[in-house]
Amino acid sequence: MVNFAGLEFIFRFLPVFLVIYYVVPSRGRDYVLLLGSFLFYAMGEPVFLLLLLTLTLVNHFVGRKIKEQQGGYKMFPLQKAKRKRLLIFVLILDVGVLALFKGLSTFVDSSLLPLGISFYIFKMISFQVDMYRGDIWEKPDLKSTALYFTMFPQVVSGPIMRYDDGEFGARRECGPEKFEDGLKYFVIGLGMKVLLADRIGILWNDLQMIGFQSISTPLAWFGAAGYSLQLYFDFWGYSLMASGILVMLGYEFIQNFDHPYASRSISEFYRRWHMTLGSFFRDYVYIPMGGSRCKKSRMLLNLALVWILTGIWHGNGPNFLIWGAVLGIFIILEKVFYGKALSKIPVVGNLYVLALIPLTWVVFAITDLRQLGIYFGRLFPFIGGEGIAVNSQDIVRYSQTYGGLFVAGIVLCIPGVFHFYEKHKKNPVFVLLLAAVFWYCVYFMSSSAGNPFMYFKF
Amino acid sequence: MKWIKLIKQSPLFVILLFSGILFTAAAAGGRKTIYREQTFDPWKAPLLSILFTGLNDDIYPWQLFTQEAVQTTAALPEERPESFPEESGDTGAERDTASETEGGALLAASLEAASSVSEAADRAHSALERLEPFRESTREEYLNHISADIYGDAGVIRAGTYEFSRVDESYFDDALFIGDSRTVGLRDYTDLSEHGEFLCETSLTIYKMMEENFKGKGTVEGVLASGKYGKIYIMAGINELGRGTTEDFMEKYTEVIDRLRELAPDAKIFIQGIMRVSGKKHSSDAIFNNNNINARNNAIATLADNQQIFYIDVNEAVCDEEGNLTADYTHDQIHLLGMYNDLWKEFLLSHGVQ
Repeated sequence: MVNFAGLEFIFRFLPVFLVIYYVVPSRGRDYVLLLGSFLFYAMGEPVFLLLLLTLTLVNHFVGRKIKEQQGGYKMFPLQKAKRKRLLIFVLILDVGVLALFKGLSTFVDSSLLPLGISFYIFKMISFQVDMYRGDIWEKPDLKSTALYFTMFPQVVSGPIMRYDDGEFGARRECGPEKFEDGLKYFVIGLGMKVLLADRIGILWNDLQMIGFQSISTPLAWFGAAGYSLQLYFDFWGYSLMASGILVMLGYEFIQNFDHPYASRSISEFYRRWHMTLGSFFRDYVYIPMGGSRCKKSRMLLNLALVWILTGIWHGNGPNFLIWGAVLGIFIILEKVFYGKALSKIPVVGNLYVLALIPLTWVVFAITDLRQLGIYFGRLFPFIGGEGIAVNSQDIVRYSQTYGGLFVAGIVLCIPGVFHFYEKHKKNPVFVLLLAAVFWYCVYFMSSSAGNPFMYFKF
Repeated sequence: MKWIKLIKQSPLFVILLFSGILFTAAAAGGRKTIYREQTFDPWKAPLLSILFTGLNDDIYPWQLFTQEAVQTTAALPEERPESFPEESGDTGAERDTASETEGGALLAASLEAASSVSEAADRAHSALERLEPFRESTREEYLNHISADIYGDAGVIRAGTYEFSRVDESYFDDALFIGDSRTVGLRDYTDLSEHGEFLCETSLTIYKMMEENFKGKGTVEGVLASGKYGKIYIMAGINELGRGTTEDFMEKYTEVIDRLRELAPDAKIFIQGIMRVSGKKHSSDAIFNNNNINARNNAIATLADNQQIFYIDVNEAVCDEEGNLTADYTHDQIHLLGMYNDLWKEFLLSHGVQ
C-alpha cells in the first residue's frame, strides 16, 4: 500500500483522498492531508506510527522553544546559550533515535527499521537547524510541523524538502491546471518505475540467479549499466511521483534529480542525483564544519566525513561504507587535482562519469564482499582470472531481451529530451502518450498484483 | 461550458477519467462472461484490472461483442481456474454455481478422455501399466493451491527399478530437451547444447508446451517432424504449481506425453521430475514448496513404462539430505547457479538407456 506504483494506492487510496481533499473547503485541507498521512503510514506500519507522532511532538515543541528565545531584536547571552542547549539536545535525540533503530535493524532484525525513518529524521534535523539559524520566519503551529514531518507523499523516501519550501502558512492555490501538472509528473514517474526500472531490474536478478562467477565480461558490464539505469529510474520515478502528488495538492514541485548521467565529474553527479540529500549534507554537515572556507586539509577531512556518513546512511552493509569512501576519494581527487581540467574538456568528463559511476553502483548493489570481488573479477578479467562455466554468448541473449529497454532508458538520460518535453508538454501528442503510458503501467501492475502467480515466472 | 474549460485545462485528467470509466464499464459488462475467470480483490484493485489480466489470457474487450469470445474461453479448459472433483458431503452453499457445474462436467469428460488414452496405450505396449490415483483432490486443497498427493510414491518406486546405464556425451547427439527456465540454465551453462537440441523458454508450462513457437526453432511438432530425435527430455511443472489441481496438471502432462509418442514413435521419452526448491523457499512459500512438487512428481512418475517412457529425478543429484535444493547451489532458491548445472548434466550421463 505504501508503494505509489501499485493498484491499491493509485485506485483506492489516492482517488478517495483527492476527492475529499478537493471537496473540503480550503482551510480544512491541511487537516485532510494530515489525517490521510496518518492513515497512509498506519497502513504501512501501524506500530511505528506512534514513534513518528512522538518525534513530531517533541521536535515541534523544542523547535518552538528555540524560536521563542529570539523574540526581540537582540538576543541576550543567556538566551543564546539556551537556544544552543535546546538545539544540541534535540539533535542528539533525533540522531540517537535514528542510530538506535539502524543498529537494531542491523544487529537484531531488519523489520525493526521504521518506515521512512532515515528521511523524516533528516527533515527534523533540517527543521531544528533552520529554526536555530533563523531561516524559518514564522513560529510554526503544530499542524504545520506535523504536516511537514508526516505528509504521505514524502514520508517513505523523501524528497527531503525544507520546511520553508512547504510554504505551510500560505494559502494554497490548487486548480485544474496545477492538478494537471502534478498528474503529468506522477504519470511520468510511474512510467519510469513500472515500465523501465522494474523491468530492467529483472536483469540484475538474472545475473544473481546465474551466479556472478559464470557471467561473461561483456554481460558484467551490461549488468552494471542495467543496474545504473534501474536505480536511476526507480528513484527518479519515485521522486517524480511524490512531488507530482504534492503539486496536485497545491504545493511547489521539489526537484530531486537533474539529469545526473550528463555530468562531467563525480562531484557534479552528486549535485544532480538525489539533490535534496546532497544539499542536506552540504548545509547541515559540510558547511557547519567549515566547508571549503578553511584550511585545505580540514576541507578534505570534511569531505571525507560527509561521504562516509552518506555511505552509512544508505545501508547497513560494509559495501555501503566502501561505496561512500570511494566516492569521497574521487571527489577529493577532483577538488585537489583534475576537477577543473575535467570541466573544461567536454567529452572526457562525460566518459569519466559514465565509466566510473556504474562501477560504484556495483559496489552499492552487492552487500556480500566476496561476491563483490567476484563481480569485479568478471568486469576486469585480467585481474580476476577465469570465471566458472561462463557462457561466452550470454551477452547476445541478454542484449536481445533488454536492448529495447536500455535504448529507452538511455534516451531518457539525455537532458535535451526532457527540455523538449517541457516545452511541448501541452501538445496533444504528449498528452495522449502519457495516457497510454499510464494504462500500460496499469496493465503491468494488474498482471503482477491481482494474480500472484503471474508474477513468478521461472 | 465548464467541461470544455476543464478539458482545456486538464486534458490528461479528463482522458484518464473517461478511459477509466469506459474500461470499468467494459469490465463490468464482461464480468459474467468473458472475464468470469479473472479475479481481483476489490479492496486492493479496481474492477478494470480484470480487463488487463484478461489480456494475458488473450481475452480482449471487443470480444464482448462477438460470439467468438464465448467459444474461445470454452475451448480452452486449461485456461479456467480448473476443474476439481465434487466433494461428497459438501453442501454447495459457498459455491459459485454456474462455473462449478461446468467444472464438474469438464472433469468427468477429462477423466473419460484420460482413461481411454491409457487403455489405448496399454493395448499398444506390453509395458508397465499407468497407475490410477487412489483418491481425488479436495476442494480445500484446490482452494489453497495444495497439490494433492493422489498417487503416492508407487510410480516413483516402480520407475526406479529400471537399471539405467552410464553413457557418454555423444549419447545426447539425438536428444531433444524441452523445458522451462531450469532447462534454459542447462542449455546455457553446460556443453549439452553442442550435442542435443533445446526447446526451452522461461515460464514455459506443460499447458503451452505443444503450442509454443520457440524462438528460431519452431514448435515441438515441427522440430520432431525431422525424425532425427531418439531421446526427448522434459522438465516442466514449477510454473504450474499455483494453477489447478494435481489432476489438471496430470491430465495435460499425459496428453503431452502421448502426443510426443505419436510424433516420435521410436524416441525414448525421459520425464524429469520437477527440480525442488531450497529449504528456505520450501518453508516460506505456500505454493512453490517441495510438498507440492513431490506430489506432482509422484503423479508424472506413474506415466513411466520403463520401456519407452522413463522417469528420472535430478533431485537425487542436487538436493541435500532433507530433500531440499542445496542452499549453496542456488541464489534465488529456485534455479541452479550457472556452474551447478554440471551436476544435472552428470546425472543425465549416469541415467542413460541403451
